[in-house]
Amino acid sequence: MRLDLTILAPYLGFLGQGAALTAVICLLSLAGAVVLGMLVAIARTSQTVWIRRLAFIYVDVFRNIPFIVQLFFFYYGLPEIGIYIDAITTGVIALSIAGGAYASDAIRSGILAIDNGILEAAEVSGLSKRVTFTRIVLPIALRTSVRPLGSVLINMILTSSILSTITVNELTGQAKIVASDTFRPFEVYAVLLVVYAALTWLVSIGISRLHKRLNRDLASEAA
Amino acid sequence: MLKVENVKKAFGAATVLDGVNLTVSPGEVVSILGSSGSGKSTLIRCINGLEKLNGGRIVIDDFDVAKPKELAEARKRSATVFQLFNLYPHMTTLQNIALAPVEVLKRPRAEVEQEARALLASVGLSDKVDAYPAHLSGGQRQRVGICRALAMKPRYLLLDEVTSALDPEMTAEVLAILAKLAREGTTMLFVTHEVDFARQISNRIVFLDKGVLLVDLPTKKFFAASGGLAQPRIAQFLSKMKKD
Repeated sequence: MRLDLTILAPYLGFLGQGAALTAVICLLSLAGAVVLGMLVAIARTSQTVWIRRLAFIYVDVFRNIPFIVQLFFFYYGLPEIGIYIDAITTGVIALSIAGGAYASDAIRSGILAIDNGILEAAEVSGLSKRVTFTRIVLPIALRTSVRPLGSVLINMILTSSILSTITVNELTGQAKIVASDTFRPFEVYAVLLVVYAALTWLVSIGISRLHKRLNRDLASEAA
Repeated sequence: MLKVENVKKAFGAATVLDGVNLTVSPGEVVSILGSSGSGKSTLIRCINGLEKLNGGRIVIDDFDVAKPKELAEARKRSATVFQLFNLYPHMTTLQNIALAPVEVLKRPRAEVEQEARALLASVGLSDKVDAYPAHLSGGQRQRVGICRALAMKPRYLLLDEVTSALDPEMTAEVLAILAKLAREGTTMLFVTHEVDFARQISNRIVFLDKGVLLVDLPTKKFFAASGGLAQPRIAQFLSKMKKD
């Protein structure tokens, strides 16, 4: 068999559209996962027992069910009870909820890592809990959570390929169409392998730079 | 007036403060001496409301720190400087100092920042306005910690072993600032191991031993042979501090 990548030339724009949809879905899902992760992380550090338990149940449930099962439940199961959501929105919601469980772990670790003395300084100076959380806890926790949140994003990019099973034509969905159009699955999926690897490699470099930039003022140079 | 009345504090079975009474009037500098574990820092933590009391009460200008509704008012009247600085690491020195006056006292940001710059200048840090804590030396961080406390214009400044984490040179930097504050009439309750410095700046010296307030005497009397030194425990402590 001969590897002939030129047969993909007419489909580059088509695949590009799929890649753009993957990027949009992943960015929206990351935003959803971080917001959800923050709320769940707060709930997991709450002093109210039932709120804490509810948050732990959410994390345990969504980390221990295969993503494809969650996705099918949202896309094929919910219409049975009268809830209809389009495929792309379903994909974003499912990725946000699944990603939120992992993001909450990352953010919770960031919160727990904050030096208690800093929180005591905020408390004795009379800062309210809301101000302490929004101005001190969250900015520090998010800075220290950049790397683990980056892993959540990378995992999201990889998992987003499953959305093709519910008719979302993101990168993998478009590639499936090209493969059936050209009858050249070897070339199509070989390119897909490289594109996903390159995408996650670029994201991990971006995350490292962002982490360095956000934490440069937190690192001690003199003591 | 800051009043500590028959305060008791225990952690589990360990009694840390056992019926402590203390009064600090405006303008006074009161130093608290005692060995490690004597309850000095716990007393400061009780005064600023970080620890709940097991007995007695603490009143700052008529506001009882044990009552949640009065604690906020009590905290506006006192400010704490910590041993390990506890600066907000993601904020510049200016932001560290301005945060509480803007958020708690609801003062205009521009006015607060102007005062913060003046405070930093007064402790020799006018060139560090935009520096982050990680880029400062220990002595500089503690000076920022003092500025952060002073920015709240507290009636009572609580200092918890503020030089313990510093080397001798940095300790001297910080003590010079505190001496200046004492001369300016700032009311201070000062937990320290710096016996000589306490002798220089304090109006009164309080000695804690195993959670019990052993003596509360004017500084001169504390160091007099017929005063504090007449107590064997205090004589032993001071002689050990001299050797160290």
